[in-house]
Amino acid sequence: MLKVIDSAIPVECWSCAVAHNESTLFCPHCSKIQPPPGGDYFSVFSLVPKLDLDLGMLEHQFHKLSRKLHPDRFARASVHEKDWSLADTALLNDAYRTLRDPIRRTEYLLKLRGAEIGEEHAGKDRKDPSRVPADLLEEAFDLNMQLEEMRMSKKMGDTDPDLQSGLEQARKKYNDMLDQVDSDLRAQWQVWDNGDEPARKEAEKKMVSLLDRRRYINNLVRDVTETLGS
Amino acid sequence: MAYSDKVVDHYNNPRNVGTLDKSSTEVGTGLVGAPECGDVMRLQIRVNPETQVIEEAKFKTFGCGSAIASSSLATEWIKGRTVEDALAIKNTDIVKELSLPPVKIHCSVLAEDAIRAAIGDWKKKNGVAEEAAVAAQAK
Repeated sequence: MLKVIDSAIPVECWSCAVAHNESTLFCPHCSKIQPPPGGDYFSVFSLVPKLDLDLGMLEHQFHKLSRKLHPDRFARASVHEKDWSLADTALLNDAYRTLRDPIRRTEYLLKLRGAEIGEEHAGKDRKDPSRVPADLLEEAFDLNMQLEEMRMSKKMGDTDPDLQSGLEQARKKYNDMLDQVDSDLRAQWQVWDNGDEPARKEAEKKMVSLLDRRRYINNLVRDVTETLGS
Repeated sequence: MAYSDKVVDHYNNPRNVGTLDKSSTEVGTGLVGAPECGDVMRLQIRVNPETQVIEEAKFKTFGCGSAIASSSLATEWIKGRTVEDALAIKNTDIVKELSLPPVKIHCSVLAEDAIRAAIGDWKKKNGVAEEAAVAAQAK
């Protein structure tokens, strides 16, 4: 679904025939609606790919474009324009949902840049040990043992208060680790946004492994919460 | 996605679940994990120092059915083999035996890594020169 286009190649507006940048929803010349453009989500908002986004601006743009695309405005338009208003709206919604979420935005940008995220790269990078948060393994194993014990004892109808408080402490610790990962991620955003190509490549590598770490810790927190809550 | 009968069988009746004494010189422990899905796998072997035969293998895996089945199968296969023989087991053998679908291939990779890690640990403990092949093994 992701298509990296060369936005320097102009296309002709179907209505006024003036060439425009392919990634706009409306012709800059005659303001007529255009078919869903083939560019990335950033270009839907006339943005260059960037990680540290102004979310207020993004929301403002989203509302503005949503209003302009509203089906009511196309009640008397051609069938094509009606269809495009729906298709453009769907694209705009997807783009907004992806870009406003910091993690989804980061994953999206990394994919645009050719990185493989999550299960896609599972098992492929065996030579790159940085992909496995090795320091977490021992802890993750022990935590899983405690969780198993906790589930067992809950089944038997009694809960060991020591085990309970141990797990609560673990949850707090992992939540703090998540905060740390998020702030590390933000630091890499700055490197990427302001860096040259080699700096960007370096930042991308770090972000991929930070996202791995984040997913891993997130799963642990989720498991602890499930076990404590049920 | 449906699991194959063999996966279900290993999942319901996992072979060789358990723990060996980590501090024993005859025991090698491998702990591996997949950051993508959060699976953790511990595989342990007890090696006869005279014959280099793996006499006992135990595992404990927290993860999906395929990960449990892969490690269960791995312990079955390495038991009775020499250390060098066990290193010949490839993840693709596990994929074939369990009919794992493409999205679960990383579970078999994890099991192969666990075997290598356990053997590597045992070699380190016993001063056997670590072969470069173990670390550099790609496919």
